Amino acid sequence: MDKKLTNVLISLVVVLAIFGIIMFVLGTQTIGPLNFQVDQATLVLRFVFVVLGLLIAFAVYWFTRENAAWEVGTREVVWMAIGAALYAVFSWLFNGTVFVVPSLSQVSLRPAIAIPMFFGYAFGPVVGFFSGAVGNIFGDALTGFGLSPQWSIGNGLVGFIAGMALLFKDKKKSMDTVLWISGVLAVLTVVLFFMNRDTTNGMYFAATEPVSLFAGLTILIGFVIVLAVRFGFAKNEDVAAAVTWGMLGNIIGILFASLSDIFINGFSLVAAVVGEFLPAAGPNLIFAAILVPLFVGAYAAVRKQSGR
Amino acid sequence: MLVAWRFRQRENSFIQWFDPRAWIRFYLCFLVSTLAFWDVRFLLPFFFISIFVLATSGVKWFEMKRAFLFIVGFVFFFAILTFLTGRGGTEVYKTEHLIRQLKAPFAILGWTPTLDITVERAFFGVSQFVRVFSIAIMTILIPYSLNPALYGITFKGLGLPDNIAYAMDLTMRFIPTFGRDFQLTMDAQRARGYELEKINGGLIEQVRKLGPLMVPVTIHAIIGSEDIIDAMDLRAFGVGPRTWLDQLTYHRRDYILTAIGVLILLASLAAGFWGLGAFWVPPALIKMFGG
Repeated sequence: MDKKLTNVLISLVVVLAIFGIIMFVLGTQTIGPLNFQVDQATLVLRFVFVVLGLLIAFAVYWFTRENAAWEVGTREVVWMAIGAALYAVFSWLFNGTVFVVPSLSQVSLRPAIAIPMFFGYAFGPVVGFFSGAVGNIFGDALTGFGLSPQWSIGNGLVGFIAGMALLFKDKKKSMDTVLWISGVLAVLTVVLFFMNRDTTNGMYFAATEPVSLFAGLTILIGFVIVLAVRFGFAKNEDVAAAVTWGMLGNIIGILFASLSDIFINGFSLVAAVVGEFLPAAGPNLIFAAILVPLFVGAYAAVRKQSGR
Repeated sequence: MLVAWRFRQRENSFIQWFDPRAWIRFYLCFLVSTLAFWDVRFLLPFFFISIFVLATSGVKWFEMKRAFLFIVGFVFFFAILTFLTGRGGTEVYKTEHLIRQLKAPFAILGWTPTLDITVERAFFGVSQFVRVFSIAIMTILIPYSLNPALYGITFKGLGLPDNIAYAMDLTMRFIPTFGRDFQLTMDAQRARGYELEKINGGLIEQVRKLGPLMVPVTIHAIIGSEDIIDAMDLRAFGVGPRTWLDQLTYHRRDYILTAIGVLILLASLAAGFWGLGAFWVPPALIKMFGG
């Protein structure tokens, strides 16, 4: 077995072991502020989903292992650093100017999210993941938020998934599939919002007020804008693909971080999705749909000019 | 051109007395331990550690004034917000004891703004301030105390592969540069009549307005990266195992610092395991306000 494959397998087994310990050993306990409690009736089923998730991750790697998108050379190292530093600086500037979203947890309006999406799409999933995860760590540290590892991983996933566009030869077909998957996920979360309109936002003087209709619908507004970009730029596949894959990255990455708060902060599924995911992912999507095309267009012009 | 953090070698600096790897390990233990508590009695020792480290860091007030005021102001703002709203508190307490209720003399679309000042909100605000302040102070001191020439070897020494250690090194070096670039771009755009604050146009127009700030900084960084890539390639980066110009050596004090960090972490986790350190309000106050 080659060294690279062994490393990937070991990493996956370690992740699985961590989940196993949390779910089976700590699954009935609350340790200080850390709530590890897992519904014991569905424990095995939940663990099966973890295994399934890791198998999917492994399958993605296995079937695309020869793809150049996984290579990390000099260029990737420098782009990783630039993406992370830019994301940190923009996060710091925009977190610092405090566009805080009424939501259950600490959520700010973050136009900077376009950075890991663009870097992931332009330079590959590894660059995207590093830009999102490390940039978020430094951005939070600079702002004084402290660190939230699961949100950093979530931000990393945003860039990682945006970069997965490079793994598919048929850009148009993969883009349309991604559009459908994202649309279904967006609609499902909005349906959950309408079924639970009394979920509170815990913000300002209206801490007991429900999450607003606008916050609940932003993800659909974002989806419509992405749809417009997808078909408005039908001839410019790069713009359309970057926005579409960025959208899926945003939905899955932020959903991952929000759902992890079920275990970490003891939120219910509804609170995590309606109170946290929608107010964070919805505005992100609007920023992405508008800013990512600007980045892609500007980068294409630079490449054309420099010939690289 | 790279802009550096305001690092310099300082006399009698407590942080700089240690190997950066040992300090980063201690910092990580400190960070996780602080996050394990909401009880202000448990958080106070961490608060005092951070004040001690700040006072003995050798960093002068004029050097860190801007960053310090920004971060402390930000932490204070959020603590006040928490106090006023109880935001986030419902995750750690279920009942509230009212000290005073303030109602606005007007209504907005039928809703009268009401402010409930409760014992729990007040203490949650204090706990949050102590917690985040301690972490923020320890974090802000790192760039002022860690020699930029040692970033790479420090991350390598913490067990990261060469590529990732060097990417972390570059990230830390780029942050102040891009911060400066952003400011320059903002000034240049303002000189051309750009107004971010102007609230007109719809949602899309408002977001699009960020383009003239974010796009030039990003594209300029990518163009500039070609020089760095060429320089690294010319030095055969990634061809074999990397060597570092500076070498770090552990001393006895570094082992002691690491051990103290690990002990604090284990003690914090053990305290949490036994149910200690959860959110606490003085019983006398609860009694005073009808508990």
